[in-house]
Amino acid sequence: MIDYHALAPELLLAGTVLAVLTVDLLRVEKYWVAVVGLFGLFLSFIPVLTLGFCDTLTFCEDTGTRFLFGESYAVDSFSLVLKALFLGSAFVAVLLSVGYLESDRFWQGEFYFLMLSSVLGAVVMASSRDLVTIFVALELVTGPTFLMAGWRKGDPRSNEAMLKFFIIGVLSAALLLFGMSLVYGTTGELTFAGIRAEAAGIRGGDLEALFTVGVLFTLLGFAFKVSAVPFHFWTPDTYEGSPTPVTAYLSVVSKTAGFVGLLAICYLAFRDATFLWGPALWVLAAASMTVGNLAALRQTNIVRLLGYSSIAQGGFILVPFGAAVAAGVTDVQLEEAFFATVTYLLIYAFMNLGAFAVIIAGGNRLRSAEIGDWAGMFGYAPGLATMLAVFFFSLAGIPPLAGWFAKFVMFRAVLSVGGGWAAALAIIAAVNSVIAFVYYAKVVKSAFMDPAPEHVAVADLARMPTVPSLQFALVLTVAGVIVLGIFPGIIAEIGELTKTFASGF
Amino acid sequence: MTLADYLPIALMFVLGVGFASVAMYFSWRIAPKKPTPEKLAPYECGIVPLQEPAQRFPVKFYMVAMLFVIFDVEIIFLFAWAVRFDQFGWAGIAAVGIFVALLIETLVYVWKRGALDWNVARRARYRRVVAPERVQEEAA
Repeated sequence: MIDYHALAPELLLAGTVLAVLTVDLLRVEKYWVAVVGLFGLFLSFIPVLTLGFCDTLTFCEDTGTRFLFGESYAVDSFSLVLKALFLGSAFVAVLLSVGYLESDRFWQGEFYFLMLSSVLGAVVMASSRDLVTIFVALELVTGPTFLMAGWRKGDPRSNEAMLKFFIIGVLSAALLLFGMSLVYGTTGELTFAGIRAEAAGIRGGDLEALFTVGVLFTLLGFAFKVSAVPFHFWTPDTYEGSPTPVTAYLSVVSKTAGFVGLLAICYLAFRDATFLWGPALWVLAAASMTVGNLAALRQTNIVRLLGYSSIAQGGFILVPFGAAVAAGVTDVQLEEAFFATVTYLLIYAFMNLGAFAVIIAGGNRLRSAEIGDWAGMFGYAPGLATMLAVFFFSLAGIPPLAGWFAKFVMFRAVLSVGGGWAAALAIIAAVNSVIAFVYYAKVVKSAFMDPAPEHVAVADLARMPTVPSLQFALVLTVAGVIVLGIFPGIIAEIGELTKTFASGF
Repeated sequence: MTLADYLPIALMFVLGVGFASVAMYFSWRIAPKKPTPEKLAPYECGIVPLQEPAQRFPVKFYMVAMLFVIFDVEIIFLFAWAVRFDQFGWAGIAAVGIFVALLIETLVYVWKRGALDWNVARRARYRRVVAPERVQEEAA
């Protein structure tokens, strides 16, 4: 018997996807499609809450972790927290898209259809507990985003963005499948629990080398998705060429989905193989932070700057994984590392979506993404400039904005492991935090202190309103970043819930 | 296994890059260079290109091919159910019903979007419904 309550978020979201497609065919104003989409996202959020607070509800039978379809699909506190994150981020991403799509002649109905399909993949991803399910979920996340990246059909840069993203996406899927096939071939298991049980017997045997290659290729496939250096080459071009709301979606929902897959695979399937993924992800984390930050220093386009910044942030998120490099890392330390990654992902979603909301609002007025044109914004749009400062300082990790807590738990996780390699990674991360501050502060300084360039019609810009949906998104994200920064206990509490996941079944 | 155990991989990487660059350097350095127009022409399967790349191909053929594949796959799924339909009972019929309903929605969608209209004149009429401003611009 299928537990329909556990599946309700996915079912409702799937229903929304179909409804969106139908509404698009009716002769109504196109923004109704977005309204239906937002309503559906809200609707699928309700069962996430009822499942989360199951033990306090009378009609709900609390059964702890709910397993469906054998051990392939699990609904536990980790997956519920991440589902809530995906649905919330998608809600903001739709809000960002409404004004943007209305501003020009875009196909609108199909856009929301594709975006919600992709979100459905992300929501499934959070619950996947076997190789096939996680692969299907990952492809469902990625597939629609290829099309969304090329949504500005007449713009060659958008086409370039789509093509690069598509080719790299297909390549990474092939590598991922290659790795998974080796893992399946050596262990004979598809579920994570089964792989973990079988992997113990492989150590020291004939199949160890093959299994090692399988693990590394699986990691590699995910490294493309989270755009870790040296698999990041598609990121800046795709981010710059895509419509900006799509970039926001890619850098938050799609990226987080990749990290969730990485978390599930590393901490469940390859739990006893930290000696394999620890060093590999150590290198990726160090390289992503360094290359991302150094490249961001030299950017003049604000979207490209955020593209490199998101590569660097991805490096920070990978740091707790890399901490597992130390020999004899304990379960408690791994739980701490897991907690740090989840916390960082939750906070990152708020601040990065917010930063993109500001960029879309500013881009609407200025019709330019060059940082030079953004100078003097405080003079004619003080609210927008202040929010720009809030999000950029949060990304840089300045208290009392939420970003500091993300960095804090990240450093705590690495330092609690101890040892030479973990300490080295902590030092690299610390140096990079300083470098990151330079380029975030440079944009804010330009917006606050420099005079506006002469070709910018300041008087016209001051009168231009911000689209209501965009205002709503800005309010949500600003409130999130400030409240979570002042009361980090809220996010720590939520992150704490997910820890049980890392402590195994 | 720690990071030091990855040294062989790093060595392999250095050797690989080294070998490729040495080989490329010497072939560039040693090889004689006598360019002729034929050698500089774009290479296409040995035959000198006679005309520009193939003519444009109506996109509707691809649309029909894609739709065909979708409904072909539907048959494959239905076939598996049909050979054992008596054992699956009502649950099986319900599942297949949902599956077919999903495909019907797709069909309605492509129909309304005009993908099934072979005739371009009729597609213009459809466009008036979805995007009136576009038709006005074309008329002007």
